[in-house]
Amino acid sequence: MSITKDTLQKHLTDPAVFCCRRAKGTVIGADDLEDPTLFDDMVDAGLLTLSDDGLTIEEVLGSTLLQDVEALTPITKDVLDKVNAKSVPAEAPAEPVKASPAAPAAPTAAPSGTIHLKIDKLEGLSLDIPAGTILGAAGPLPAGPTEKTGEKKVIRKLIKKHIKITDVEISDKTAIEDGKIFIDGSIVEKAVKEDPLCVSMSLDVIYPDKRHVYTDTIMDVAPIATKVEGELGEGVTKVADGVVFMLTGVDEDGVQIHEFGSSEGFLDEKMYFGHPGCADEGDIIIRCHAVIKRLTGMTRPGPFAAHKCEDYIIQAVRNELKKYDGEVVREEVCEDLRRKGNPRVVLVKEIMGQGAMHDNVLCPNEPCSVMGGQKNVDLGNVPIVLTPNQVRDGSIHALTCIGPATKEMTRHYIREPLVEGLANDDELDLIGVVFVGSPQVNDEKLWVSDRLGSLLESLDIDGCIITTEGFGNNHIDFIQHIGQAGKRGIPVVGVSFCAYQGQLVVGNPYADAMVEENMDHGGFENDVAGCSCVTKEVAARAIQMLKNKMAGVPIAAAPKKWDNAVINANNKLLGLPETVLLDKGTLH
Amino acid sequence: MRPFVFPLSQHIGAPSVPVVQPGDRVQRGQCIAEAGEGLGSPVYTSVSGTVLEVTDDAVIVRADDVQPKEYVPLTAQTPLDYIRQAGIVGLGGAGFPTYQKLAVPFLNGGVVIANASECEPVLTHNIKAIERDCRPMIRGLQLAMDLVHADKGVIAIKAIHGDAVRALQQAIAADDRLALHFLPNVYPVGEERAVVREVLGTLLDAGSLPSKAGAVIINVETLQRVAEAVDDKKPLIDKDVTVAGKLNGPEVQVFHDLPLGMAVNDVLEKAGGLGKEYGELIMGGPFMGRRTSLDAPIVKTTGGIIAAETFLPGPEKIGLLVCACGADEKRLREIAASMGSAVAGVAFCKQAHEVKPGVRKCDNPGHCPGQVQRVMTLKKEGAQALLISNCTDCTNTVMACAPQLHLPVYHCTDGALRAVHHKLIRRIKA
Repeated sequence: MSITKDTLQKHLTDPAVFCCRRAKGTVIGADDLEDPTLFDDMVDAGLLTLSDDGLTIEEVLGSTLLQDVEALTPITKDVLDKVNAKSVPAEAPAEPVKASPAAPAAPTAAPSGTIHLKIDKLEGLSLDIPAGTILGAAGPLPAGPTEKTGEKKVIRKLIKKHIKITDVEISDKTAIEDGKIFIDGSIVEKAVKEDPLCVSMSLDVIYPDKRHVYTDTIMDVAPIATKVEGELGEGVTKVADGVVFMLTGVDEDGVQIHEFGSSEGFLDEKMYFGHPGCADEGDIIIRCHAVIKRLTGMTRPGPFAAHKCEDYIIQAVRNELKKYDGEVVREEVCEDLRRKGNPRVVLVKEIMGQGAMHDNVLCPNEPCSVMGGQKNVDLGNVPIVLTPNQVRDGSIHALTCIGPATKEMTRHYIREPLVEGLANDDELDLIGVVFVGSPQVNDEKLWVSDRLGSLLESLDIDGCIITTEGFGNNHIDFIQHIGQAGKRGIPVVGVSFCAYQGQLVVGNPYADAMVEENMDHGGFENDVAGCSCVTKEVAARAIQMLKNKMAGVPIAAAPKKWDNAVINANNKLLGLPETVLLDKGTLH
Repeated sequence: MRPFVFPLSQHIGAPSVPVVQPGDRVQRGQCIAEAGEGLGSPVYTSVSGTVLEVTDDAVIVRADDVQPKEYVPLTAQTPLDYIRQAGIVGLGGAGFPTYQKLAVPFLNGGVVIANASECEPVLTHNIKAIERDCRPMIRGLQLAMDLVHADKGVIAIKAIHGDAVRALQQAIAADDRLALHFLPNVYPVGEERAVVREVLGTLLDAGSLPSKAGAVIINVETLQRVAEAVDDKKPLIDKDVTVAGKLNGPEVQVFHDLPLGMAVNDVLEKAGGLGKEYGELIMGGPFMGRRTSLDAPIVKTTGGIIAAETFLPGPEKIGLLVCACGADEKRLREIAASMGSAVAGVAFCKQAHEVKPGVRKCDNPGHCPGQVQRVMTLKKEGAQALLISNCTDCTNTVMACAPQLHLPVYHCTDGALRAVHHKLIRRIKA
């Protein structure tokens, strides 16, 4: 569309693009130019490619065309008789990016210009922070002028004792002796009696240096943790260090238990060792392999049977761990606390609730267990508030079987980097962690989201971070949740895998601060369990972005396409390691 | 001014039968063609003048230089008779005779829904009419409710139209049978069955009429004309029309009471004249409108005249994805030809249910059933780009896959929307 004189004035520095075919000799005026507000859609649709050597509107007005040019073509200097001078410099010179980590020492320095800080959004996002303001732990958030804020008041304590385990053996007894776990091999026969849908179960031990073994799809990774004092979230918990359970499964026909891509193959290639939901580099893996009834892999009871029977075995080990007084390698003190006067924030974790294997067990009797818990699907997926300590004490047992790379497995929750990061941040007051299920049907999604909106309002918070696992279907409510916070004036940061395959299909004006989880080279859901989830780096970027948003630091619009360079620029600013993408041959 | 042309087929149903001869003098409001057998609807001249010609398709009248405001009044006995006599048909575009909708009373309860969605982008004459004076529409709604013994009347309107909503809220306060229902601002929420679904929660099959859900749906202007017929004895001779696009005047203009039969050329002259370059002239809205010409007359179902932007040059071979809620195959082929593209293949949205040959209705308007398979089929057939007529939701889906397959996406509404600086129908964004 040719544009009016008024529109023209507003867009002088926007790209000049012909709206229609124009013949040689045309003197370029408003009538000849496409309306720049339509460019986004046109670029998206593949109709227009803006080029770096394209001129701006003010540069081309009054120039004469030296050749015929087709519609929707950016105007370049080689087709014009002259190019006008630019009226204003295009960009103020940017501050060196490096300046940021040193910022606290010199708050008076660099009052001019801006630090250009790029933060990843759906597909990457950049933000501008006025130079000299807070960055990271660099400075406090704006506080009340006189009030003493952020004073720590401890509500309850949880001590997690990490007990050293150096070996595991499948034998004829269940016990822990001198750092070695023995599991009675015949326990599997009792375990399968827990659920008639579980046909058989087998156990074996995989040592860290012998991981090049075939594995069926990885359903879950769970730690061995048990209460020795108090309820979940308080008292004392023992956690076995250096060992995890891994649940794999197929049905009687050998069909992998999965929904969106499975991770069967060589174990060393199929797990992102070291990520929160996964085994660590040095962990011994107790593989518990379940075979469930034919055709039950995509039902609710089938996969659950596998989890239930595995948990029977883990419980036997938990009971031994309770009694075992071995070497404590680390004592972790977790506190539920208030920091009154600091910005009140909550973490909202959207978890899968579509049914079948897309489900979670909440608040079981023992850390990361199944028994005694309630499934979020059965609860109607309504939002539920847990304390940070309850989460860190294993209140979530994940049954999710969405794509391998983007699912958060049971171990993820007991050491969730965002929970740790927010709880330990003395500039914030983490009020709680909200778990909200993602139902299958749109109407239910909207209903659940409305409930979350009311909850967030009643918590009277100053900011929140909303995460989701998986992509696509759950993005509908994820974005809705962001809208619920946004429309109540609550600064909100979204965290998800989006990249290439998971580009958001919906949006709203509040989804303007988004953090990318992807670690796949092609931007796809790959077949490496736990690859693209909330990591320490993701958490650090999200928390910083929330602080910026709450402090009113403007967040610049994202580039249109996912670009890992944007993410790494932010990592660098925050002193985080580079996000290196895993090349699993996914293509686009 | 060009002669006034009154086509004999302006509605769904049998053509009207001329009752005048060339050379006859006619007065504004005089019947020039009587209702045909079977869903008939009479036609009146909107101008005083002389009959020039009577063809198989139309009565053509040369208008006098000076036109009266008055008209020959209708004579009838009952409200339903007036509506039948007035030649009122669904003015939202469907053209179904209104008396037929109102002839069968509900046995218990029932609802008349005033469709004020004004769903097509660009068109705005219905909302403007409500803002100007909503009483005629409400009067029409009450008359319709009385005729079909409905115990409820609902005005379905998009919440974004704040001024119109406030005017309606005040006006309906006196009648507790009436209520407003807010519609989301998305195309095609004004589709008849979409309105039923939104207001009553019932999803009708593509082949069913709203009566199956205990509802009658009538467009805003139709209700106004119903009130005029009954209260003012006025036949359907004037029409509200939105004129937009590449004009020498303002981009979007609304004309109240344009005489039917006026040539598109003369309507455009009233709007300041046609701009010096344009792609095509569209009669109707961007989604459902048809190409028209300067000589064509405005008829009972004309809602808009849009001078669209020049066509973008298409690739050598283009694939057509046809939706029931937008341009049909014939119209897309016409646009493709104007873009200079040959048609590589034609696919239909899987919800575009063929209810009778050549007529498609969407199984669930505005709720996308997925488009990837269709897009991939068209690519396989050699399409280098797509030209689509999908609704907002389905277009969003196409946009999520086609560009990734290196298929640029053109939309049937592009020309009209570019002409008025309207956001294009592509991905749904905030």
